[in-house]
Amino acid sequence: MTNLLQYTVTGLAVGMIYALIALGFALIWKSSRVANLALGQLVLISSWFTYSMLVQARLPIWAGMIMTILFAIFLGWMIERFTLRPLIGQPILSLIAVTLGIGYFLEGVVTVVWPVSVAKLPPLFPQEAVTIGTAVISQEYLWAAGISLVLFGLLSLFFKFHKMGIAMRASADDQLAVQACAVPITSIFSMSWIFACVVAAIGGILISSIGGITNGLVETGFKSFSVVILGGLDSFIGCMVAGPIIGLCENVGAGYLTPILGPGIKDLIPFVIIIIVMMIKPYGLFGEERIERI
Amino acid sequence: MRKSKLPVSLAVLLLVALAVSMMPGCTPAAPAGQKVIKLGLSIPFTGAAAEKGAPIGQGQLDAIKYINDEKGGVEGYKIEPVWYDTAYDSAKATTIVKKLMDDGCSLFTVVASKDMTASKEAANRAAFPGMVCFSSPSLTHPPQHIYAQLPDYGDDWAAFARYYLQNIWKGEGKPRMALMLLSNSTGYGVRDAARAAAADLGIEIVATEEHTATTISETDALTRIKDKNPDVLFISSTPAPTAVILKNAYDLKMIPGITVGCAHASFTKALTDLAGKDVTEGIYGVYPTVNWGDDVPGMAKMMEYSKKYHPEYAGNNDYLIGWASSLINAEILRQAIKVSGAEAIAKGDAASWALVEKNGFMNVKNYDVEGLHGPVDFSNPVDKRGSKSVKIFKVQDGKMVSQTGWVDAPNILYENLDWFGK
Amino acid sequence: MSLPCGIRNYSYNTDTAIIRTKTQWVLFGLFLVLLFTMPLYLPRSGLDVMNLMGITIVSIVGLNILVGYCGQLSIGHAGFMAVGAYTTAILTGNLGLPFWASFILSGFSAGLVGLFFGMPSLRVKGFYLAITTIAAQFIIIWIINHWSDVTHGSMGISVAPANIGPFQFESEASQFYLIMSVAGLSVLFATNLARSRIGRAFVAVRDNDLAAEVMGINVFTYKLLAFFLGCFFAGIAGSLFAQWRGNITSEDFTFGQSILYIGILIIGGLGTAIGPILGVVFIRLLEQFVLFLSPLIEQTFSGLPSGFATGLGPLVFGLAMIVFLVIEPRGLAHRWQLFKASYRMWPFSY
Repeated sequence: MTNLLQYTVTGLAVGMIYALIALGFALIWKSSRVANLALGQLVLISSWFTYSMLVQARLPIWAGMIMTILFAIFLGWMIERFTLRPLIGQPILSLIAVTLGIGYFLEGVVTVVWPVSVAKLPPLFPQEAVTIGTAVISQEYLWAAGISLVLFGLLSLFFKFHKMGIAMRASADDQLAVQACAVPITSIFSMSWIFACVVAAIGGILISSIGGITNGLVETGFKSFSVVILGGLDSFIGCMVAGPIIGLCENVGAGYLTPILGPGIKDLIPFVIIIIVMMIKPYGLFGEERIERI
Repeated sequence: MRKSKLPVSLAVLLLVALAVSMMPGCTPAAPAGQKVIKLGLSIPFTGAAAEKGAPIGQGQLDAIKYINDEKGGVEGYKIEPVWYDTAYDSAKATTIVKKLMDDGCSLFTVVASKDMTASKEAANRAAFPGMVCFSSPSLTHPPQHIYAQLPDYGDDWAAFARYYLQNIWKGEGKPRMALMLLSNSTGYGVRDAARAAAADLGIEIVATEEHTATTISETDALTRIKDKNPDVLFISSTPAPTAVILKNAYDLKMIPGITVGCAHASFTKALTDLAGKDVTEGIYGVYPTVNWGDDVPGMAKMMEYSKKYHPEYAGNNDYLIGWASSLINAEILRQAIKVSGAEAIAKGDAASWALVEKNGFMNVKNYDVEGLHGPVDFSNPVDKRGSKSVKIFKVQDGKMVSQTGWVDAPNILYENLDWFGK
Repeated sequence: MSLPCGIRNYSYNTDTAIIRTKTQWVLFGLFLVLLFTMPLYLPRSGLDVMNLMGITIVSIVGLNILVGYCGQLSIGHAGFMAVGAYTTAILTGNLGLPFWASFILSGFSAGLVGLFFGMPSLRVKGFYLAITTIAAQFIIIWIINHWSDVTHGSMGISVAPANIGPFQFESEASQFYLIMSVAGLSVLFATNLARSRIGRAFVAVRDNDLAAEVMGINVFTYKLLAFFLGCFFAGIAGSLFAQWRGNITSEDFTFGQSILYIGILIIGGLGTAIGPILGVVFIRLLEQFVLFLSPLIEQTFSGLPSGFATGLGPLVFGLAMIVFLVIEPRGLAHRWQLFKASYRMWPFSY
């Protein structure tokens, strides 16, 4: 059926965007076991900064991008240095709560610096739609999907082969052991937060070029929780696989279930998936399974 | 010793915060003896509704400045705005309305329908009269002490439906309409109105789809709608998701083609900014006020003040709504003072609230709001909507051009339908 | 145990007493007097804040049982409150049950829903469980929004104020007494629960569930019990909220609220008796302070950019949370213990 193709194409594209945001979450979890609840706000503030650069300061696109990446690096470093470093070794819940505080704080900063609450980025990608078979998809989504894949590739390679990447994985496993091996934990955390902020910034730019910059970017962060759960909290390939799966389930499932169950079922699907995954395969498709035996 | 100072200082801070927050009306007010009437304002300056709340709130405050400075207040009494930020949070909204009651406000205005839903029980129980800028059917039905400044989303739909039938629909029989709704009171207002009145008006609703405010793609919903072959699509949402919907519809080649109408929550400059000229060309929309820059008596002063104090909101129709709401409040107070005298009104207690309602609200008949939006009439005890008329606009070359004069939206008596909540 | 110097316990009764010394009794009595005479000197908005605090305390006490004592991280508490609130609304509104009946039933319904969503705790721990509760939150709200024939969706349901027999709790002051009594009883219940066999089992599960299993504690049963109890309290808090506010919609129980509750619990101090109270008082007062701050700043410094005053609210709030957690990650309860210790040892405290 022609609709199926359309649903599939849209689902895959949207799913890649979720996956991109989920990458940011997985990064921080993978290296420090902290759940970053401020992800949505990080996306928001990076998008606004991009807007500042491109629209208010009228920089050319490549310069604006570089400035945004620098800003994200700076932001990640600041967050780690001033809020997370003092909390090394504290119970994990305090760390989660502090990311909550960071989230509120960033929202406040956004309101103070950019009082207008909706804005549009200048078009970064060509606007015409592309036809695949009988399905239609806007080019922006394809670009977003492509960039997600590239990022995923880069990050996976980094974590697998680069010295710092290996150190990050080790510190997620056992912090004390890593410290005992004379690897500075603080720089590992810094790097992981910086990466996460950069990924969030890129994700933010992509999403806002599609839908504009609004406060809703924060909630898109929550949707990517389902991606992270399905894929496994500490697995990048899990994010990449789970993202399109969730996107597909959302669109195809909604496509066929809506006539039966009524409108709005699309929003429920990611969360029902979470519950199902929890019952069947709790650590996600690719997550590291913790096996405890007495 | 350093460590033990902290709990002491914390305790002191707590006590100070407790004392300060409990003191009612502790804003740096005019010295006692000066003639002021307090107007309570509950505005979502921050939070998810900030995109509309901030410009409306600033419009309200600037208009009060204008009334106080250039018109000498209301019958010689200055209006003192007592405002708080609800952050679009219901718990805060309830606390705020009670604070406004304690602060000695004579009446109050809430911007967002969600905040008013949170405040209405407290206000109704205490008979504290209030006006809401963006209404929804549950606020004014059954009618108590809450008044609506503008028609709600259900009214938008009904007015647009009538306009479409009379002016655009050229076929036989009933036109097929699809609804694209935001999954909160903005969208549900239209859903309920359609459920109540579509059959009577002569429209067939063939598809209803919902979406959230943070959606990034509605292609799937539009595909389903496209299958049903509608003649007209009505969207009730906020600017950002509406822009996404229109772009997706454009990609699917649904527009230009079928007629599209938008409810007033999304039909602002933000929409044309976000979606772009090509996508929005020929889109209809309903808006309860005139467009920024139209030639009406109140426009000049409003543009002057906005340029001086808040230039970032110039061109924003939400600022216009806020400005208009303060003008209406001033008119309500003026009518009340004419009958009861300013002393009684300025007291801000339960007696003055009753007087404000009986002699203020009920005496506002066909106030023209200096031409900024439809005439406001609060005198009907069963219809608590102030302005019942809207204008239909069409987007041409990125600008909203008005197509009609003031079109009346019929009053749908929801309380007579058994599926409607209390 | 932290007791003043020189107090010895010679019998089991004195050892387990919550209020041990005469000084503590006097202070407690004064506190009760202060609390219950508040309606006399606080304005209506002040009582309103106190009522909200009371309701939040009941809810956080429940969350403390679940998260603090049993270690099951749950970020869906607002959803369970919603279940309780809507149960009350439907039972008193449509079915006409008296308030006290629907109050108890709301607790049970929320507890049962919590039980259902707590089942994954058999297989997962820590943050994975938390994500399940987040999903629970969204699913519950979705159901409320879409089962509109029963719940009226986002238009909300009106709820009459509570009544015991013919006496209706109409005024803010009467609501105050009702809510404070329930809050006081809840705190008492939770404190005693923590000291009982069940409470000790919870703590064992939290600290090391494998060891607890080895010792013969049926971990799964106790985890489910913790979910039930925690959500029971959420349910009755939701019920109180519904009748206090008079009108509830699904938008009153957002995910943001759930996160806020976790924040309150952590700031107050996890797994302590007094933690919920301190956390709630601190955060609600901070909210009021911030609410009060914005218009004040706008009026005194009118030359600032327009977003400044309004953005200041969340900014100060977030900053306070961060600063607080960095300085005292174990919460206010820990600070309170330190304060008591330093007070007792003065002038030799360090």
